[in-house]
Amino acid sequence: MTTLDHPGNPTRIKPTFLGRMHEWIATADHKKLGVMYVTTGLIFFLIGGLEATMMRWQLAVPGSTLLSPSDFNRLFTMHGTTMVFLVGMPILLGVANYFVPLQIGARDLAFPRLNAFGFWLFFFGGLLLYFSYFGAQGLYGMGSAPDVGWFAYAPLTERTYSRGHSTDYWILGLLVSSFGSIATGINLITTILTMRCRGMTLMKMPLLVWLMLIDAVLIMIAMPPLAAAQVMLLFDRLLGAHFFDVQGGGSAILWQNLFWFFGHPEVYILILPAFAYVSEIIPVFCRKVIFGYPLMVAATVSIGFISLGVWVHHLFALGLSPMVNTIFMGSTMLIAIPTGIKMFNWVGTMVGGKIRFDTPMLFSTGFLALFLIGGLTGIMLSVVPFDWQVSDSYFVVGHFHYVLFGGLVFSIFAAIYYWFPKVTGRMMNEALGKWQFWLLFLGFNLTFGPMHVSGMLGMPRRIYTYHADRGWDLWNLLSSIGVLVQIAGVAFFVWNVIHSLRKGREAGADPWDAWTLEWSTASPPPDYNFEEIPEVYSRRPLWDIKHPDDPDWKYE
Amino acid sequence: MTSEDRTNPNREGIELPAPTSAPFVCAFGVTLIFAGIVTNWAVSIVGFVLGIVGAIRWWHEVLPDNRKECLPIDGRRPTIEVSPGGVAHLMTAESPHRARIPLEIHPYGAGVKGGIAGGIAMAIVAGVWGWVDQSSIWYPVNILGATVLPDFAHENATQLAQWHTAAFVLGLVIHACMSLMIGLLYGVILPMIPRFRLGFAAVAVPLIWTGLAWASLDIINPLLNQQINWWWFIGSQVAFGLACWFVVSRSERIGTMQNWSMLERTGMESPGIREMGGDG
Repeated sequence: MTTLDHPGNPTRIKPTFLGRMHEWIATADHKKLGVMYVTTGLIFFLIGGLEATMMRWQLAVPGSTLLSPSDFNRLFTMHGTTMVFLVGMPILLGVANYFVPLQIGARDLAFPRLNAFGFWLFFFGGLLLYFSYFGAQGLYGMGSAPDVGWFAYAPLTERTYSRGHSTDYWILGLLVSSFGSIATGINLITTILTMRCRGMTLMKMPLLVWLMLIDAVLIMIAMPPLAAAQVMLLFDRLLGAHFFDVQGGGSAILWQNLFWFFGHPEVYILILPAFAYVSEIIPVFCRKVIFGYPLMVAATVSIGFISLGVWVHHLFALGLSPMVNTIFMGSTMLIAIPTGIKMFNWVGTMVGGKIRFDTPMLFSTGFLALFLIGGLTGIMLSVVPFDWQVSDSYFVVGHFHYVLFGGLVFSIFAAIYYWFPKVTGRMMNEALGKWQFWLLFLGFNLTFGPMHVSGMLGMPRRIYTYHADRGWDLWNLLSSIGVLVQIAGVAFFVWNVIHSLRKGREAGADPWDAWTLEWSTASPPPDYNFEEIPEVYSRRPLWDIKHPDDPDWKYE
Repeated sequence: MTSEDRTNPNREGIELPAPTSAPFVCAFGVTLIFAGIVTNWAVSIVGFVLGIVGAIRWWHEVLPDNRKECLPIDGRRPTIEVSPGGVAHLMTAESPHRARIPLEIHPYGAGVKGGIAGGIAMAIVAGVWGWVDQSSIWYPVNILGATVLPDFAHENATQLAQWHTAAFVLGLVIHACMSLMIGLLYGVILPMIPRFRLGFAAVAVPLIWTGLAWASLDIINPLLNQQINWWWFIGSQVAFGLACWFVVSRSERIGTMQNWSMLERTGMESPGIREMGGDG
């Protein structure tokens, strides 16, 4: 028994601006929420990028005084926090929100209102964090934005060392935001396990759905320890507890363990969706079925499992026992095996394929190259003696930017170019897309490649300036010039989005001749997604319809 | 999604959860509760009230009935064009130049024996170097042990020439494990080398392995690196390669099932099927 609001006359009056605002605020539609997630993430991406630009401007030459040390501390804290929590997380949840129901033939997520609640918690959490720029100083006269780094090591976060409320804003903003992520994680797991259309067994799910399932499980496991640690820190700061106060009998190492028990799985929470996007895009643009689907699934599950047991490699410099170091060195190296399987399978999909280098494929190929470099330097860092040499240096900064920018952001752009026609009904401009790719690819390598060298030369991360006699000048200048090239690339993207929304070529339902269910409905999809719930017989249902003489179900 | 959706194609619209501002209000309330901690307690009170209002509205959205709206079908129903034919299949089995699968292999036992023989030959050369260079056969043993015993890296040549039980045990274990593993690898890889197997076993692999060890030890443990005579090191590796190749290549070869038919692999006996075990 349900209560229905009948629209009556289907020809509705065009809503006013306020009406449209209300429509978006009150929506429980997974597609609208997906768009809101991604749009908010992209806005925060521009803000985080601006913060990075200011830091690189400061570091372009030795002895620069453009920024004060405390401003620099706030900038790297907000940049890291923004990019991880307010860019990576919302975009991956947004894409999952939009496309998981479409790919499994469902009309919405399992709990649509909880989905809306999750988005608004994330949104307000982000606003609360940035309100620290005004609130922390304006109301208490102490500090401004948080300045303790994105992993907020104790005891620097204790009240003795971090006066005012800037660190409290960091705790509370992320706490609220992480509640939203947990809510969406629950929603995704339930949806994927219970709402698949007829015929879609687990081994017939698109890889995006598989990867988001594992991703949501990781969110459920990794986020609560962070929330617990943040509440403990809040108790330390506001109620005089001593969880992380060493002088009061607490343990600073406890914070590191709790944070990185969240923090390293978080890297995989961010990168698994990147794997998902390229796993969808590469087969379509190579005109081949994905190579080794069962192994891709097994590798995903393995990565999810192993990623929960590697966090101590962030703690090698603490001086733990050789036994502990050796175990976590081994587990960290172990994760290279399923990741390597994925790399080989993507390349295996490309081999012998009829590759079309449209913009989504260009970005996917860029992802393969850059993520490979980030992965290899990750294996280098898993070796304890090497980690000791370069720990907390720019080598590490270069490494994780190759993973998270080269890996995640390049795949996000690939996903945007791939699914933009489905979401908006219009194609993005190919020429502008290619300009963006090459500028971003060049600028990225110019920025983050030299960081490996400056790190090997001993430049620590998070210093606000340096002397001219260290041999770091050239590498820092190159990194800063690279940022300018990247800005040009991002400008092409913004221009492309605005231009394509207004004048983009009409996309039609299936502009890429693709195979998953989202391409069987109109672009943009109607509110109910599918007029009739589809039934599938293989992993590529549209292929089966397009090629009845040679359907996939014969081989699966 | 309801079962009705699937079965009734003549329905007027499709039911979906009705829009509601309850999640928005509730989330805003929760955020204000937390924001009050760092601003003013009144903010938390407002947040609490908003949270309760949102929760009550949410409650009414789902109880007693799940409130839904019925959306009209907009008529945009794309057609998927059928394009039969034109599907090319990759012929992987007909591309032998891309994969060399041996029809005959050495038994794994040959690799183990080769590893043992190579390990003995290598130890003899290393012992000769120790005797010639430092008048002690324990010198190379201690250096091997020093790769996992950091204290040994700081000892001088005289100290390294003496007997150390721990270094001997660890050195022996490391040497035995490495020799067996590399012997096994030789046993597996050698049949796949089309030509110049002796050159591969006794020249190419020793040189590559020496280069890898030299480059990495210089970074990982430069002090230890200074104690090693790399020309003798190459000699010991060549001795290993020669001995291992000799033992492995003299072992009896056994046929693989790579070119058997499925019937032969499953052990079916039938007229027309060749005798079991044939690989010709």
